[in-house]
Amino acid sequence: MAKYQAAEVGEIDKGSCKILNIEGRSIGIYFDGEDYHAIRNVCPHEQAELCKGKFTGTTLPSKPHEYILGMEGEILVCPWHGWEFHVKTGKSLVQPDRYRIKIYDVSIEDNKVLVHI
Amino acid sequence: MDSSLVKKTSKSSLKHGVIDCDFHQTLKSFQDLKPYMPRVWWPRLSEPEATLPITIYKPIPLSRRDAIPGEGLPPGSDPEYAKVDALDRYNISKAILTGSLLTVSAHNNPHYAAAVASAFNDYTLDHWIPKDDRFFASILIATQDPIEAAKEIDRLGSHPRVVQVICTVASREPFGQRRFYPIYEAVVRNNLVLAIHGGGEGDGINPPISAVGTPTTNFERHNILAIHHMSQLNSMVCEGVFETFPTLKVIFVEGGLAWAPHLMWRMDKNFMAMRSEVPWLKKKPSEYIVEHCRFTTQPIEEPSNEELIQMLRMMRAEKTVMFATDYPHWDNDTPTFVLSKLPEDLRRRVAYENAAELYGFSVDERGI
Repeated sequence: MAKYQAAEVGEIDKGSCKILNIEGRSIGIYFDGEDYHAIRNVCPHEQAELCKGKFTGTTLPSKPHEYILGMEGEILVCPWHGWEFHVKTGKSLVQPDRYRIKIYDVSIEDNKVLVHI
Repeated sequence: MDSSLVKKTSKSSLKHGVIDCDFHQTLKSFQDLKPYMPRVWWPRLSEPEATLPITIYKPIPLSRRDAIPGEGLPPGSDPEYAKVDALDRYNISKAILTGSLLTVSAHNNPHYAAAVASAFNDYTLDHWIPKDDRFFASILIATQDPIEAAKEIDRLGSHPRVVQVICTVASREPFGQRRFYPIYEAVVRNNLVLAIHGGGEGDGINPPISAVGTPTTNFERHNILAIHHMSQLNSMVCEGVFETFPTLKVIFVEGGLAWAPHLMWRMDKNFMAMRSEVPWLKKKPSEYIVEHCRFTTQPIEEPSNEELIQMLRMMRAEKTVMFATDYPHWDNDTPTFVLSKLPEDLRRRVAYENAAELYGFSVDERGI
């Protein structure tokens, strides 16, 4: 495993994502306001650039005809077919056991965001 | 009747027993309803135009001419004749009576529609059910007024020979909407199942036969009737009816089959994209369909056998498909014709077991 510098702390605004190439892999660094998430920038469905999608919340499991908004800032929606993924686990919301995006460990050292690959 | 016909039974049906999930009994005359209806409605029974709304010319009459029992009676109106003509001839173990006048739900007057449905139900219980142990009844409801429909279900739901509630697939609004909940509550409260049967598309108060307007010919109409079944199934799943009513079972009758895999795949695909609109769905739409919905064979599609069997596998027919004749209507299917197309494992499930499990009949009651 190696650590790669992906961004300076403060460089990425809350709710934003910086996409960069690390060792031939396209990876998005998303800052949710507290933590940084390093997300493989490929949707497992049709290989769209996932991290160009929307970081948002979504509706939580509920009773019929009831809407509860939650997980704000924790959901990445693919810009192509709208598949939802959880930014912490990388798992698809609908089929978590079948579709999962690679999430890399991140650390902050000397005010730098490091991605562990 | 020619006795040689009675003995001509199918080997495949003999082996497994057959439950016919769509057997249409009817009245000898609208006047038969009089003893069961308030007098205020009687004049309408003599006025065909006032009875049920019909909008399109059908060049082939609804009922088979060869199923006329004689004495000027309509096909399907004489239980003694129908027993020999259909049940005995094809060795049918049980027949779910799906009735006629289903298009009451297309009528502009919900009170009259409910009265017709109620009278027809009493007529069936008095004139058909006592005639043979193989007959089981449906409660016909008019869906314009779901609260009245629920009362009718509660009135007859505990009758020992009533096994389901029936209504037409055509309606003014999709069945997933909450205004239909009184019907589903009554169905599950009475431990019944709900059969949604073709009929009433484009008639009376209902929306057009097709989604793009009214077709020119009955051929054109008949080819796309299943869009109504698709619409109702789609609505019920998307609106979470099966989350709200986890014991509800729904049968889609006389819509054919091949549309089901298409809809299941389409719904599962789109659920990946639009789950957030329906957060109450806890599993893939197709899983609700396989668990809660059943489909009857008639009018079965007739591609090559290989293609038919592939299609049946795609829709989990070993669990979801049940045999139906649609006797005595013109486009009916015989057990011999349908069941002989199927491999052994599917044949016994489709001929008998899926329906027996749904209606709570024992495997020992195959009547063979």
